[in-house]
Amino acid sequence: MVPDPAASFDAVFAYLEQRLSESRDFFQHAEMTLDLRGKPVRTDELSKLHRLLVTKGRVRLVEVKLEEDLNLLLDRPTDRRTLPPRIETPPVPDDLALVIRNTCRSGTRVVSQSDCVILGDVNPGAEVIAVGDIIVFGNLRGVAHAGATGDRSARIWALSIEPSQIRIADIVAVPPRGNKPTPRRFEIAEVQDNLIEVITL
Amino acid sequence: MAGKTIVVTSGKGGVGKTTTVANIGTVLAKKKYSVVMIDADIGLRNLDVIMGIENRIVYNLVDIIEGKCRKQQAMIRDRKLHNLFIIPAAQTREKTAVNPDQMKKLCTELAEEFDYVLIDCPAGIEQGFRNAVAGAQTAIVVTTPEVAAIRDADRVIGLLEADLLKDIYLIINRLNHRMVKKGDMMSTEDIISLLAVPLLGVIPESEEVVISTNRGTPLVHNRGSKAGMAFQQIGARLNGEDIPLNLEQKITLMDRVKRFVWS
Repeated sequence: MVPDPAASFDAVFAYLEQRLSESRDFFQHAEMTLDLRGKPVRTDELSKLHRLLVTKGRVRLVEVKLEEDLNLLLDRPTDRRTLPPRIETPPVPDDLALVIRNTCRSGTRVVSQSDCVILGDVNPGAEVIAVGDIIVFGNLRGVAHAGATGDRSARIWALSIEPSQIRIADIVAVPPRGNKPTPRRFEIAEVQDNLIEVITL
Repeated sequence: MAGKTIVVTSGKGGVGKTTTVANIGTVLAKKKYSVVMIDADIGLRNLDVIMGIENRIVYNLVDIIEGKCRKQQAMIRDRKLHNLFIIPAAQTREKTAVNPDQMKKLCTELAEEFDYVLIDCPAGIEQGFRNAVAGAQTAIVVTTPEVAAIRDADRVIGLLEADLLKDIYLIINRLNHRMVKKGDMMSTEDIISLLAVPLLGVIPESEEVVISTNRGTPLVHNRGSKAGMAFQQIGARLNGEDIPLNLEQKITLMDRVKRFVWS
């Protein structure tokens, strides 16, 4: 649905309310995308509109397109479940890194609110998620997600990076196929131009 | 003196747990130790078939636990070795018929009477695995050089460590040396570097294994079989004998002559 950008919010709201009560069956459980990109809208107006559509019209609002980022108002439970575990609010800065003193075997899941140090390997099937950096004193062969709250400057350090998948903030990378040379000392994965690069040192 | 309780596990199915139990049990019994093998795979019992005692089963593991028979009644003596016994699993029951505490009690009691108690663990990491592992002091993890089997073995080792079972050994089964040389199969070194568990031995891939399991006679009874030799060495190492790991498994002409003379 794209409302007329020239019309006032109250006019749009009144029109919509009338249409919804006239043809309720048509709107019921229908999927709808609300496009408000051509029209500046206040937060309270948007929530009023959202309430009208979802509760009264029983519309399934799939997406709201806005000029500004107000997407937080939407409830999209199906989407949220498929997303990687994400901490919604940035945690209080906490300098205490989580230290794991053994190898993370398949099935292990480590979540740290700051940096994460692993004194051992991360084997295939294990997951390490950290809000800050991930440092592995061993081979990284499983899944690592640094900067889990969206910090793209987070880095992954390991003696050897041959993961099943690595993520930094919102960027996901899989290693290229084929054998790679063994690093001399250690490797760092970091974001460069929206891509994850692995640098051998 | 209490004997050793050893569980043979893997996570993934079909990697050779039951075959390993049957052969190691036979090797240890041949060394004149008293051995009892427990099939903990309730509902999918196989150890009896591999040992060739299928038609002699009257009572089973669940009967002992439920107090329907005495332990001695359910133990089946091996055809060849009088100091080797098998406790078969119940085929018509489920894994939930037994709980870890009951298994622990049974294993402790058996360890009083026997030198070795070997437990054949079912595949998976659910109740059956929990039962099988409960009474064991030592674990042997069997894997094949396949990525899926190694991943599962890794998970199982993690679970065993979480259960504070620290005495864990590895057996690599069905290794094809020719494929490793060509680079088509993971090598022993690769597997050990990933799993980081002491290696007990490597069993080469062999048709003899299938033949012996189908016949119901453990492979170690056949002289001159490479896989049988590997099992004999594993049994000896488990018994604390110092036998160097010969990873290449090259059998030279001299070895053949020696073996011929010795046998």
